[in-house]
Amino acid sequence: MFLSVEEIVKHYDGVRALNRISLQVRKGTVKGLMGPNGAGKSTLFHLISGMESPDSGRIWFQEREITGLRIHEISRLGVGRTFQTLQIFGNMTVVENVLTGMHMRIKGGLLSSGLSLPWIRKGEEAAMKEAKEILERLGLFGRWKWFASQLSYGEQRRLEIARGLAAKPDLLLLDEPASGLTYPEAKQLAQTLSRLKEAGLTLFLIEHHMGMVMEIADEVAVLNNGELLAEGPPDVVKKDPEVIEAYMGKK
Amino acid sequence: MVDQVHKEFRRRDLLYSGALWLLSLIIPDPQLHYRREYRFRKRDLFYLLTILLLPLIWSDPHFHHIMVLGGIHGILALGLTLFLGYAGQISLGQAAFFGIGAYTTAILTTRYGFPSFLAFWASALTAFLFAYLIGRPILKLKGYFLALATLGFGEIFLVMVRESPRLTGGVIGIFDIPFFSFAGFIFDTYLKQYYLIWGVLMGLVLFSKNLIRSKMGRAFLAVAASEDGASAVGIDVSRIKLGVFVIGAAFAGLAGSLFASVMSTANPETFSLNLSVLIVMMVILGGMGNLYGPIAGAIFLTYLIDGLSRYQEYSLPIYGVILILLLIFFPDGIGTRLRIRLIYLISYWGRKRRREKVEL
Amino acid sequence: MDIWATLPQLLSTGITFGAIYALVGLGFVTIARASQIINFAQGEFVMLGGMITFFLLNKIHLPYPLAALFAILIVVLIGFLMHLLVIYPLRKASLPILLMATLGASLFLSSTSALLFGTLPKALPPFSARAPFEIGNISVSPQSLWVLVAAFLTLFSLYLLSHRTLLGKAMEASSTDPLGADLTGISRNLMIFLAFGVSAGIGSVAGIFITPIFYVSYHSGILIGLKGFIAAALGGWGKHNGAILGGFALGVLESLSVAFIPSGYKDAIAFIVLLLILYIRPKGILGSPFIDSRRW
Repeated sequence: MFLSVEEIVKHYDGVRALNRISLQVRKGTVKGLMGPNGAGKSTLFHLISGMESPDSGRIWFQEREITGLRIHEISRLGVGRTFQTLQIFGNMTVVENVLTGMHMRIKGGLLSSGLSLPWIRKGEEAAMKEAKEILERLGLFGRWKWFASQLSYGEQRRLEIARGLAAKPDLLLLDEPASGLTYPEAKQLAQTLSRLKEAGLTLFLIEHHMGMVMEIADEVAVLNNGELLAEGPPDVVKKDPEVIEAYMGKK
Repeated sequence: MVDQVHKEFRRRDLLYSGALWLLSLIIPDPQLHYRREYRFRKRDLFYLLTILLLPLIWSDPHFHHIMVLGGIHGILALGLTLFLGYAGQISLGQAAFFGIGAYTTAILTTRYGFPSFLAFWASALTAFLFAYLIGRPILKLKGYFLALATLGFGEIFLVMVRESPRLTGGVIGIFDIPFFSFAGFIFDTYLKQYYLIWGVLMGLVLFSKNLIRSKMGRAFLAVAASEDGASAVGIDVSRIKLGVFVIGAAFAGLAGSLFASVMSTANPETFSLNLSVLIVMMVILGGMGNLYGPIAGAIFLTYLIDGLSRYQEYSLPIYGVILILLLIFFPDGIGTRLRIRLIYLISYWGRKRRREKVEL
Repeated sequence: MDIWATLPQLLSTGITFGAIYALVGLGFVTIARASQIINFAQGEFVMLGGMITFFLLNKIHLPYPLAALFAILIVVLIGFLMHLLVIYPLRKASLPILLMATLGASLFLSSTSALLFGTLPKALPPFSARAPFEIGNISVSPQSLWVLVAAFLTLFSLYLLSHRTLLGKAMEASSTDPLGADLTGISRNLMIFLAFGVSAGIGSVAGIFITPIFYVSYHSGILIGLKGFIAAALGGWGKHNGAILGGFALGVLESLSVAFIPSGYKDAIAFIVLLLILYIRPKGILGSPFIDSRRW
């Protein structure tokens, strides 16, 4: 199983955020994670990406256990993520943001970089080319020299995805990628994500934008109050009474 | 009639552009955002030539002396700028590593007869080691607490130095440190020391520039911008912070070694918190995210301190006031404000003249 | 020399010092509760309290209580001025800038004090009888008791201020939720302004109470400030009772250490404690409302 979460429990200061959650993501699919605010979706992402450790339970990625590994170790295994609160690097240019995404794939350490050895420079040139290609794919090429802080919000969101792609991950975790986007921007994003899926990337996304999720997701899981309510194809989950109750409230 | 007006404009425009170009050469990079050094530009050549030729043109030994000190401060500021200006972490302990370097050289050359060239590298190594040991636990802290921890380390260092007279000469310090010598050439005059120190500084600038332009430089900026974002792309944040810290400390160690070889004495009074504060000020005034700025800041503040010394007991209060004023008016660095203001002034002047002309 | 025999005496000295550190720590906590700023000039307020009282007593020949009172008022004024001239202009500045500014202010205050009052250490007469009295085999000077009284009175008043009065609650609100405080009409800058005054007052009180026991000189400020901060962090950063607990803990630790290591290293103890707290348990003994240990 590509990504597997087993009996995960997480408490924060006595509040139970996740209660024995188990779910799976199949390779090459798009899985949506939905639920009202406070359901524990971001917490789950924090646990998968390594920002926190679960109180109990295990997480497996590509047949390797990743529970308790540190964030950058998990990233290096091929898991990328974007953040709900947009964590781009505003102090660098657009292309540099993407280049940073390629950090693990560029060779070199502190000493060799400082001495600017010839293979460092070659690596930089190759990386620059690739970075520009990624920007092209996401429609940000024209702004490559701009500072990241100068982009519009929607463009910054795309930049964060570009940066995530630069690491050539096998799994990309997207935390509310469409939040704050206008309707046309969200549609564009959905198209981009579809294209990524076709290229072989596995996507796991948290999203409130019902329409978008229903359109591109192969499978959806719904959380509420730290419990898994339903898991399955979007059409089936949509009709699940517990899910409807969670979102709409009791009649 | 119209042609005349046009010609006037062209001359004036030339004048403004010329003035702006000259200004852009001598004022360090303006920093509205953290700006990256992309390539070597004409400006770098200009700086290089100035540094090389200045002491020959202006042969006042006092000037040389100040520039020697300024150069040493420049190395300290350069080390700190990687840590503070790029990676965004605060350290109030540069003076301690400076002291470690100075004492290492002092002890090795006076007591064990090491040649200064070897002592030079040994100082860097010692500072590197101390920074490595201290850095691992300390760098987990953020903001004020990191600043305080580095401050604490600095104070502990001073206490240790004062309480170990057999090793470090205690409060009195170590004297008669031999001048720096290399391959039989002794750097005993201010002029020679100037070239030694600025030579080392330029080498370190080259190293730093390479770092900044590489993936490591991006990693530093990433850590400053968002540690979560940096980890998410596979950057080992603690290792990067430790790396920058250690490099900054090594630079300080080198500076300390040169200082000992130039001043011939080492005593604890020099390596106080005040010096660490001064170095941080150089980085802030030079502009964060800027490589040359802090060096210019170093020269500026060295001159300032020297100029204030004539006021004797009034010098410290005045220094305190100037410090606060500089922080209030130039939080982004002097270069930024100055250039923005000058550009604005010049363009305003130009527009005013143009308006006058049109209102003929 | 029997170490164990000297311990009780050292303990009593430690408690005296501890009370001072506690007071200084309370000063830090007051400003930090209102503004998340750590005021490096706090120690200077302590120093100035003692210095100005000495000046008023010996040069202007005011009666002792009056001199003390005026000194406190003057230092509170200095605290207000520091806010207006240094902190307020930098209200939007980033952390390193603010840090440097308080350090600059500290430098200014200590060097100006050297200028105005000279560099010799000064002492003040004790408040009541000179002769120390005996408790068991420990000699306790009455002044030490005054110091303890001062510490607890201050703690009590601050507690009343921040938990019982509207003003105190306003000050805390502006620290934990600046936007919310603004929206409910609390002027954040005013709260910080007041906090500076209160901290300066506490600091000067500490200075006046401690100077009869130990000399004060223009450079005492920095060290005592740092130790006061370490005390506050040790006990639990941001909590009033944390500052008290930390103060006494640090004072006793420092004092007892003299029995085991050469006295020159005494000052280093405080910094070693600092590094230990920051490394092992940054929240401090009692825990801290300000430090999020989740992602520490």
